[in-house]
Amino acid sequence: MISDQLFFTGINILLAWSVYVSLITGRLSFAQGAVMAIGCYSSGVLTVRFGWPRLPACVAAAVVTAIVAAILGYPALRLRGVYLILVTLGITFCVRVTFENVNYIGGVSGFGGMAGSDLSTVVVAVVVVGSILLWLSLSPLQRSCDAVREDDRVASSLGINVTLIRIMGFSAGAAIAAVAGVLYGHYMNFVRPESFDVLLSIYVVLYVVLGGVNNMFGALLGAVVMTLLPEYFRILSEWRPTVFGLSILILLLFRPMGLLTFRLVTARVRKGPMAALKPLADRVQ
Amino acid sequence: MLTGQIVNGFVSGMMYALVAIGFTLVVGVLDKLNFTHPEVLMFGGFVGVISLNVLPLPWAFVAAIAVGGAMGLITEFIAFRRFQGSDAKITAALASMAVGLIVTDLVQKLWGTEAVTLPPLTGWMAQRFSLAGVEFPNLQIVIVGITLGLAGGLHLFLERSKAGRQIRAVAESSVSASLLGIDVRRVTQAVFLISSALAAEAGLLLALRTGAASSDIGLTFGLKAFAIMAIGGLGDLRGAAVGGVIIGILEALMFYFGLGRLSELTVWAAMILVLMYRPAGIFGSTHVLEQRA
Repeated sequence: MISDQLFFTGINILLAWSVYVSLITGRLSFAQGAVMAIGCYSSGVLTVRFGWPRLPACVAAAVVTAIVAAILGYPALRLRGVYLILVTLGITFCVRVTFENVNYIGGVSGFGGMAGSDLSTVVVAVVVVGSILLWLSLSPLQRSCDAVREDDRVASSLGINVTLIRIMGFSAGAAIAAVAGVLYGHYMNFVRPESFDVLLSIYVVLYVVLGGVNNMFGALLGAVVMTLLPEYFRILSEWRPTVFGLSILILLLFRPMGLLTFRLVTARVRKGPMAALKPLADRVQ
Repeated sequence: MLTGQIVNGFVSGMMYALVAIGFTLVVGVLDKLNFTHPEVLMFGGFVGVISLNVLPLPWAFVAAIAVGGAMGLITEFIAFRRFQGSDAKITAALASMAVGLIVTDLVQKLWGTEAVTLPPLTGWMAQRFSLAGVEFPNLQIVIVGITLGLAGGLHLFLERSKAGRQIRAVAESSVSASLLGIDVRRVTQAVFLISSALAAEAGLLLALRTGAASSDIGLTFGLKAFAIMAIGGLGDLRGAAVGGVIIGILEALMFYFGLGRLSELTVWAAMILVLMYRPAGIFGSTHVLEQRA
């Protein structure tokens, strides 16, 4: 049982990170359910129908999902705020309905036969993705992303390709979510399109809101707290959505930056100006 | 058969319109998405479950309006009052999502996750009328009548009454409105009260039509109304109403031509296309152009 819980914690960490990566370029995505489904199904088709080994299938699924996300994201990422929320929600619905109507991958009744992921694979995935994100947080690329998020006009006047950065953020997030989807599919052995519904996308965004958006550990903390705590407190698991909703509300009211607020680069370079810290609302354009 | 489908689609479209009008009213006045709205719609059906078991049918409509309005006020107090200002749009949307989660969870705790059957309709409501050789339940007349009445009433209220003029003033600019002595908080409360009352009424009608109240329509029917609102243009009441009817009939036609399973795709794909290429909505209201800047 404990390995089950840890496995889903790992999946949720990956999903929360995927939202976070898109968020550091200033775009909030409610399409994580959809990209997770694309990753899960592409790896499923590659392993079950074409007999690929699991690791190449996982990498290929991540690449395919990143490309699809770039194609979907190119027009969508021009939109801001509530418009982007609506479009990403729309993408989630569209992908689900499309998958439900393709008979090759089982339609509504689902697709099965994947196997072979367990706790150790998800730990490896979390460690790999985590180290890449850590490297990103300390690299110049993070500064470019920050610039794009804070003011895209200034960023483009500094020679930063705003569109490219945004699409990279969205695609990288999609690739991470795809890895989560691959692991999920291969663990459950059987998935349906309705496993990736809009509620999943909403939950994942709220994990990030709960944990904090200023550094990668916030998303991690949010996912861990909301996945593991309910397993150990009976009342929490019975009232999970209510407790979750209440904690989001309380947090937004009293600690709008999330649980963890420090910022990696600033924390490393100097005891930084707190002005650089911002709640989620200011980070999304 | 085709007539029947089109009339059914029209009636569904009326209900979409009722929900979308509520959505778009809040967006138009406050520039904020109210994600509790779909769950108020869902709760309207359960208001029907309660009141139909103890009171005659007409009281259910009154109860839905009252409970919906109250939920609107509560939503405004919990999820919107603290998050004002133009940069708080996302925060308010997230907070209202959290409220929506709580409402759904409480309903599922009280009634379970399965759909709850309503007591069967009796008397005139259970009878049918015939139009062009096809029979329809009289309930559909009630749905169309109530929707037209509420939408028309809202139009008159916004255009002719003093309070309606204040709402339009706040929609133009809440700062100028408050300088002119308008109580912006009171107007905001009124907007939430009206929009949520419309949603609860639509939820009741939907439950009466399907014969059951279910806790998951918020995320299906309710979010579809979201897409319809965006198709009509954010903040455009006329666009929401027309968009609702168009989508309702379009879905019915898709079922008629055997493409029913793709109907959900149509709405969202249409919304994405509209937001990409005509973000001001089908009627191109100017309000939206400012927002997008």
